[in-house]
Amino acid sequence: MSKHEKIKIKKLTSPLLNMGDVEIEFGKIEDDWEEPQGPTPKPGVVALRNWDRRLMERYEPFYTPVCDMCCLCSYGKCDLTHGKRGACGIDSKTQQARMIALECAIGAAAHGAHSRHMVEYQIEKKGRDYRIDMGLNIATEAPIYRTIIGERPKTLGDLEDGMDYAEQQLQHIVSSLHTGMEGDFKDYESKAMHAGMLDNLVMEIGDIAQVIGYDFPKGESDVPLSELGAGTIDKEKPVILIIGHNVVPGVEILTYAEAYEKADRIELAGICCSAHDLIRKNKSAKIIGPMSEQVRFIRSGMADVLVLDEQCVRVDLLEEAKKVKTPVIVTTDKIGLGLRDRTGDGADQIVDDLASGKEPGAMILRPEKVGEVAVKLAERVFPTRNKLRTIPDKDEIKSEAARCVSCEECQRACPVNLHISAALKDAKSGNFDSLAELRERCIGCARCDSACKKGIKPLSLIEGASDYIIKEDRYNVRVGRGPILDTEIRNVGPPIVFGEIPGVVVFAGCSNYSNGGREVAEMAEEFLKRRYIVVVSGCAAMTIGKYRDEDGQTLYEKYPGNFDAGCLVNVGSCLTNAHILGAAVKIPHIFGRRNLRGNFEEISDYILNRVGAVAVVWGTYSPKALAIGTGLNRWGIPVILGPSGSKYRRLYLGRKDKEEKWDIYNARTGEVVNADPTPEHLVYVAESKEEAIIEIARLVMRPNDNVKGRQIKLAHYIDLHKRYYGTMPGDLHYYIRQEGDIPMTMKPEIKAILEKKGWKERVIPDPTLVERLVWKKKDKEDEKDKKEEGR
Amino acid sequence: MKMFATPWVRTQTGGTTKAVPVMPDAASRIINNAKRPVIAVGAAINDLGDELVERVIKLHEKGIPIAATAHSVKFFERKGVRDVYEVGIIELTNLLTDPEWSGVDGSGPPDLVIVIGINLDLTNQTFQTLKNFTDIPSLSISRYFMANANYSFPNIDDEIWLLYLDELVWKVKERGQ
Ligand code: SF4
Ligand code: SF4
Ligand code: SF4
Repeated sequence: MSKHEKIKIKKLTSPLLNMGDVEIEFGKIEDDWEEPQGPTPKPGVVALRNWDRRLMERYEPFYTPVCDMCCLCSYGKCDLTHGKRGACGIDSKTQQARMIALECAIGAAAHGAHSRHMVEYQIEKKGRDYRIDMGLNIATEAPIYRTIIGERPKTLGDLEDGMDYAEQQLQHIVSSLHTGMEGDFKDYESKAMHAGMLDNLVMEIGDIAQVIGYDFPKGESDVPLSELGAGTIDKEKPVILIIGHNVVPGVEILTYAEAYEKADRIELAGICCSAHDLIRKNKSAKIIGPMSEQVRFIRSGMADVLVLDEQCVRVDLLEEAKKVKTPVIVTTDKIGLGLRDRTGDGADQIVDDLASGKEPGAMILRPEKVGEVAVKLAERVFPTRNKLRTIPDKDEIKSEAARCVSCEECQRACPVNLHISAALKDAKSGNFDSLAELRERCIGCARCDSACKKGIKPLSLIEGASDYIIKEDRYNVRVGRGPILDTEIRNVGPPIVFGEIPGVVVFAGCSNYSNGGREVAEMAEEFLKRRYIVVVSGCAAMTIGKYRDEDGQTLYEKYPGNFDAGCLVNVGSCLTNAHILGAAVKIPHIFGRRNLRGNFEEISDYILNRVGAVAVVWGTYSPKALAIGTGLNRWGIPVILGPSGSKYRRLYLGRKDKEEKWDIYNARTGEVVNADPTPEHLVYVAESKEEAIIEIARLVMRPNDNVKGRQIKLAHYIDLHKRYYGTMPGDLHYYIRQEGDIPMTMKPEIKAILEKKGWKERVIPDPTLVERLVWKKKDKEDEKDKKEEGR
Repeated sequence: MKMFATPWVRTQTGGTTKAVPVMPDAASRIINNAKRPVIAVGAAINDLGDELVERVIKLHEKGIPIAATAHSVKFFERKGVRDVYEVGIIELTNLLTDPEWSGVDGSGPPDLVIVIGINLDLTNQTFQTLKNFTDIPSLSISRYFMANANYSFPNIDDEIWLLYLDELVWKVKERGQ
């Protein structure tokens, strides 16, 4: 790669000069990467606009406003309903697209700031020249970085180059959100995709930094299982709970506890992705669960010290913690909660002040100090706190339920419309089952608590009624393995590209489930049994671990962790989503022999047309999840959202009934041919688990599938349709390109259907959306390049 | 019973418009005046067992085509009703924004969209799209008042809801007569 190089000269003596310890730094030196630079290294905001527009010609943005108005500036509020324009001239579609670009920029900035800190921290510990070594089986160390930046990062210091680029681009994107900028919704969408792509890049940078800095697993499939769930916590020990996404303070707590031989005497547990990353360092740490567990767990009183870092941390946790006398340590510049900055104070002084209750918490920005204070504080407050809790016992539930006036305001505030007051009626007469039954669908948001004018706290009552469920909350999750190995890609690349492994199904994202987390596990198992490759990350990876089958096994116990057919791969925290995308990017490189270097469009075109991957973000809510997903879309990977995802306000939908939308180049001949409508959508919202399952089976189809591959995919699609919808799919004529595509055993039945639909045979092209990638043109261009080189 | 017309989900206000609350009689007149109504039926149609499915089938028997979203097709299949248009609610809403779409039965784009049994978030978002990007009026016959539709039943409980639907079925005229 090209990079900054340093030369150190210990002693230099010449007739004119006599000096020692000189360091000379050169600007950029080109190195030995044999790949030629592609067309778009470090693409600017509009460099990939043509690609985005090509995608949006087929997958038109579909808008569903959450609000009819805009209140960005003080010209407003402006009413944009039904064709009206705001005072700046903006219309509703463009305003929706602006909000999407804004959310994607926020998501990318959240991951970016985290990754920047991670890179800086690891450089501080290991040095700028610390080499990126992802292990023997990974030569393509940073596929996203290579494709976007056009360079190969070799050291921790090189990663800063990628961060500089992303931060600079984000500034341009955010500036475009100002009043009086874009007037075309597709231009805002293109910026949203750019922000999404930057998000994918910074996630990869952040995770590489922590993998090499902390020696996390480097893609080993035999990583161990770790304990999961509140029921695994030993209440006889002081408990330190970390919440957030930046594992640095958590690792320092571990390091301190180990150094002072206290590791066995405390419980270290976490919620959200910091916990995921912590078990990558040491599997003895425990994961309580996803974001939905935050308030419940703190109210349970089990945490003796609460350590917060960044992202998706409820901002009322300090208030919750005060009620159970749990001191709080905030550890990053993102979350201050009004607490005093004690970074410069002595650890023992801070411990005294927090343990005595003089202050409810402290800001400590040195991770090593967090480690020392958290451990000492947990030991100090453990005997006096006595696991003080605000979760009521059965008598208290009964008397609280008796105060309920059945106004149903709690239900009207509940994102999943739970029938709380009906359950309270039962509880009043001593039957707590209906309340406990609500727990599985409750997402722990506490909106019901805020809504109740009587001061009843339904969330706590549900929790109190569910004590027997919580005791059983003892599960496991496979430790996040991080990247997918190059060797695995070599094995599964061909069957994925030809369709013989029917698809790669990803379950990622948050826990804002409309119908409980069980559905995520059920969907995953449906495709595992059918030998799709299933990959999980983030909250979804935890949720999946929280269900057992009739034999008492979790999916992690039942299915191996390789990246192969019928396997369940947990990559780890949010940041590791980059490795899922990285696997898709490595397929064109390792199997398809495409260059990555600065070659975004060709790689994405390959993924869109050949790699049957689909991501399901069933409980999505966050700007980060939107940024990840919008980035995946730009790379050609479709995403399915749960019902709450409709409130992101934009989808990219294809129209299979519009034949002309599916014209594509046949790269072999240069002809424009009409391909089958696959993948049909780029972002889709499914109303139910059943619909999501059907949509997964549809969205893994690709125009490049060979007939055997398409047969397999269709056989699953038809079988799933019959099972979940009770009928034969009505759209088979779209997906059957030639008679050979029809699954063998169903030939007569399907041929009769095709006849009725007036089906015509189609070519199976060597598909590309990009004209310059037609072979003849490419050959000509290569020849031209060679001639020019020879001159 | 909460016979009032404020959005059931308090925040589903949208902004500057608000649905007209309607009782079954007014709802039936809106349906009877439409030339090409369609009823979008979601997976929650099974939430009260057969009660809702059977009433929707009665509306269908009066000549209103059904767009069966998500896996609701299964509940109609069980009752031997096969001539439903199977489509995702998001896909349907997208098709409705296309004035050239030929409609669920090929007779042209609908001029009234009736919604029942679909997840509350998705129902609201469907109405938001219809309201902002189409001229097609919408009618919610769910048990919750949906402020972003053009017309909606008020907030009612299950028992009243079934009575409302009975009255609606009774008052909706058979098509083609
Ligand atoms: S940005 Fe435009 S639409 Fe929004 S409030 Fe200002 S003038 Fe109105
Ligand atoms: S905490 Fe649970 S019951 Fe309360 S509003 Fe949120 S999801 Fe509904
Ligand atoms: S808001 Fe409070 S009083 Fe009203 S139904 Fe809910 S718990 Fe009862």
